[in-house]
Amino acid sequence: MKKTIAVLLAAAGLPAAALAATVTVLVTETAVRKKPQFFAPSAGTARLGQTFEAEGPDGGWYKVDGRLDGYIHASAVTAKKVKVGSDAVAGGGATAEEVTLAGKGFNAQVEKAYGAKNGSADFSAVNAMERREVSESAVLEFMRAGGLLPEGGAR
Amino acid sequence: MKRSLPLLLVLLAGCAGLEKYGLGADSAVGQRLQKVDFDKVGKGVTALRKGVEEISESEEYYIGRAVSAQILARYKPWRNEGANLYAQKVLQTVAMASDRPDTYKGWHVQLLDSDEVNAFAAPGGFVFLTRGMVKRAKTEDELAGVLAHEVAHVVKKHGLKTIQTARLTSAFTLLGSEAAKSYTPQQVQQLTSAFEGAVEDVVNKLVVNGYSRDKEYESDRLGAAYAKAANYDPNALKAFLARLGADDKGGGMFKTHPSSAKRVDELGALSASASHKKPAARQGRFNAALR
Repeated sequence: MKKTIAVLLAAAGLPAAALAATVTVLVTETAVRKKPQFFAPSAGTARLGQTFEAEGPDGGWYKVDGRLDGYIHASAVTAKKVKVGSDAVAGGGATAEEVTLAGKGFNAQVEKAYGAKNGSADFSAVNAMERREVSESAVLEFMRAGGLLPEGGAR
Repeated sequence: MKRSLPLLLVLLAGCAGLEKYGLGADSAVGQRLQKVDFDKVGKGVTALRKGVEEISESEEYYIGRAVSAQILARYKPWRNEGANLYAQKVLQTVAMASDRPDTYKGWHVQLLDSDEVNAFAAPGGFVFLTRGMVKRAKTEDELAGVLAHEVAHVVKKHGLKTIQTARLTSAFTLLGSEAAKSYTPQQVQQLTSAFEGAVEDVVNKLVVNGYSRDKEYESDRLGAAYAKAANYDPNALKAFLARLGADDKGGGMFKTHPSSAKRVDELGALSASASHKKPAARQGRFNAALR
């Protein structure tokens, strides 16, 4: 069967090892890295809802090109087609990906109502926790200083 | 094989198949980077997702925030900014090396002002360690192993999987009944009721009942792997667990986790990566932040 697929893809002008897909970012932001390694330097930042033409995934990474060339982690994107506008209605289906992009489902409005009913829930402490995020460059410097980057890493 | 060829051709000829391989009419050649129109996405969405596996990234984040708010109602934050910032850097390091480097709004850790030995991981990437837990770690590698174990719980969505499916059904049926992002007061009430139940399920599992042994062992294995990928010594997690076993007094995590000795056994033989080093600077910053 694999051979058959390869023949069909070859007939269509596609290399078997480099299947193209459109991927959509499902997290607020994620790095596009210059190499398919978590500690590789960032070529830029991909943001929620942006789509990229991609190849892969290979080893957990999609290779993307266009305005940003590099590698994006497969866990941060979906290769599923996201329905937009009337297509979403016609299909009668809302995927988890569409819910994220539409800001629907359990969202800030629901959290506000939940907070009003559960006065002891300490969302201000959660907000303080979220503000503590460390920049990626600071994390890479932390790794370098602690001897955690391999030789030639982050270059 | 002869039978599978026509079937494959039919599949490839289908719109979805062609689009997947970049051959669809809207394959956007020359338009490499696009932007989704958020106002249009989800308008009139009517269909139903079916289970916990289909909770979206953003919904996981909001569930995680509410679970965290409940944990922080039970435990006070440890107001030691240096210690918290240091733990945050270690967390982000092991999370970057995990199978899920980025969650919807990133990974966050909060140290808790309690002598109890305990740790929690809420959906979406919210991690909590008590002061009692942190103080039992002797090295950054041990702390990294503990944090990586919590990262694994989030990666494997162990918290989300404790939510009863029935709670989600009513919430999912509401989706898309309105085009606007906002819901009517009645809809918010229904969604909030489902949300409240989901949060309660996760909090009960994290704080009261604990995960199954299998999920703990799985998180140990993955945590050790993530620590190793970040060039920490994965054996540090075993050393930490062995020390915890000697302190086992039955409270905190001891009542919700399998025995430390068994966890050490389950981890088996581990080896550090070829790039693993142990510079004095790493121990120095650990001592400065947490001793």
